[in-house]
Amino acid sequence: MWKRTAKGRELHFYLAGINNQNFLMRDRETGSWWQQVTGRAISGPLTGTVLELAPYDELTFGLWKSESPHGMVLAPVAGREKDYDNDWEKEVAKYPVPLSFPGQGLKDRDVILGIEAGGEARAFPLERVLKQSPIEDKIAGIPIVLVAGNDGASVRIFRSQQNGSGIELYRDSQSAEWRLIDSGGSAWNFEGCAVSGPLAGQCLEKINFLKDFWFDWKIYHPQTTVYSR
Amino acid sequence: MSQVRKRVLGTLAALLAIGSLGLFLIPAFVIRPFRYQSASALSLAIRVKWVAPALTAIACVAVLVLCWSLWRTASRTARAGLVAAMLLSAASAIMCRANYFEWMFRPVQAAGFVAASDAHLADKEMVMTVQIGPDARAYPIRQMAYHHILNDAAGGVPIVVTY
Repeated sequence: MWKRTAKGRELHFYLAGINNQNFLMRDRETGSWWQQVTGRAISGPLTGTVLELAPYDELTFGLWKSESPHGMVLAPVAGREKDYDNDWEKEVAKYPVPLSFPGQGLKDRDVILGIEAGGEARAFPLERVLKQSPIEDKIAGIPIVLVAGNDGASVRIFRSQQNGSGIELYRDSQSAEWRLIDSGGSAWNFEGCAVSGPLAGQCLEKINFLKDFWFDWKIYHPQTTVYSR
Repeated sequence: MSQVRKRVLGTLAALLAIGSLGLFLIPAFVIRPFRYQSASALSLAIRVKWVAPALTAIACVAVLVLCWSLWRTASRTARAGLVAAMLLSAASAIMCRANYFEWMFRPVQAAGFVAASDAHLADKEMVMTVQIGPDARAYPIRQMAYHHILNDAAGGVPIVVTY
C-alpha cells in the first residue's frame, strides 16, 4: 500500500503487466511504469522516484473490527462477486514459480514476513512466528518483536525499545484476556500500546513488513537471511 | 505500375504488417505470467510498449495507402495477401493500445464502502487495513487479489492499495 503522490502530484494507477508474479502498474498522469513490490518507477518521466509506503496491516476481519468498530470496509464491486475466489490461496499455491531458491530451508511458496532495515533483509517464516510468538530478534542492531494476535493469524512487528531501553515482551498466561507483559510490570495490547503499569499510554514504534512468498521475497532481496531459531 | 515496383510495394506492406505484429508480440511474450523476466528483457518490453502505439498506427496507415494503390491491378491471390496485411496491421495497432490485463482483472471504477458492523465477512477473513487519523479502512484480500489495484484516500491522504 502506497501513498500515490510523487513530486507533489497526485497519481492514479492502473494495472499494466506482470513481472515475476508481481504486477507492474502505470500512472495515468505521466504513463510511468512502477513495480508494485518496491513502489519504484522503472520507466518513464518519473523513473527512479519511489512512492512513500502507507503503513498498513494484514489482519483478520474479526480482529480489525474489534480494534476499529467504526471502520469502513471496501464493498464488493457489483457484478464482480463471481471473480472473488474463496480458494484463491489454494489456487495460487498451484502456480509454477519463475525462480526457485532452495538451500535456506524454505519451500518456494512458504509464506514469510520480510523485514528490511538498515540495509539488511530478513525473512521470518509465518508458521514459526505464529507458533513461537512473541519472537525477539535484532536487525541491523534494531531490537524488534514479532507478535501474533489472539486470532492466531494476524501479526504485527514492533521496535522493542522505549525511551532508549529494551523491552522484552511475554505472553501473559495468567490473564484471561489476551495481552503481553514486560519485566517492568506493564501490560501491552496487540496495537503495541501499554494499557497498564509504569509505561501505560505509551506505544511501541510499528515496523513495516511484507507478507510474501519466499521465492518472491528472495528475488527482490537476494542477500536476505532467514530467521531459524 | 511496373511488375517489380508492385512486388516491392507488396513486400513492403507485408513487412509493415509483420513488424506491427512483432511490436505487439514482443512485450506480450516478455510480460507474461509464470516465467522469469530478466531486468533487460523487461526493459526491452517496456521500451517497445512506449513506441508501439505510434509506430503501429503509422504502419497501419502506410499499409492502407499501399493496398489502395495496388488493389486495382492486383491478382486475386495478391488481393487476399493485401487484405491479410491490412487486417494484421490494424489488429496489431488495436492490440498495442488495448490493456488486456484490465480485461482479465477489471479495475474498480468507483469504490463503495460499508460500515464494519454491516460487512458480510467472516471473522477469519484476511483484510488489508490502514488507519490515517480517525479514518480506519479495511480491504478484503479476496477482493484485492482480483482487482490488484485500488486508488483510494484515507484521512484525506491519496493512497493506492495494491495486492
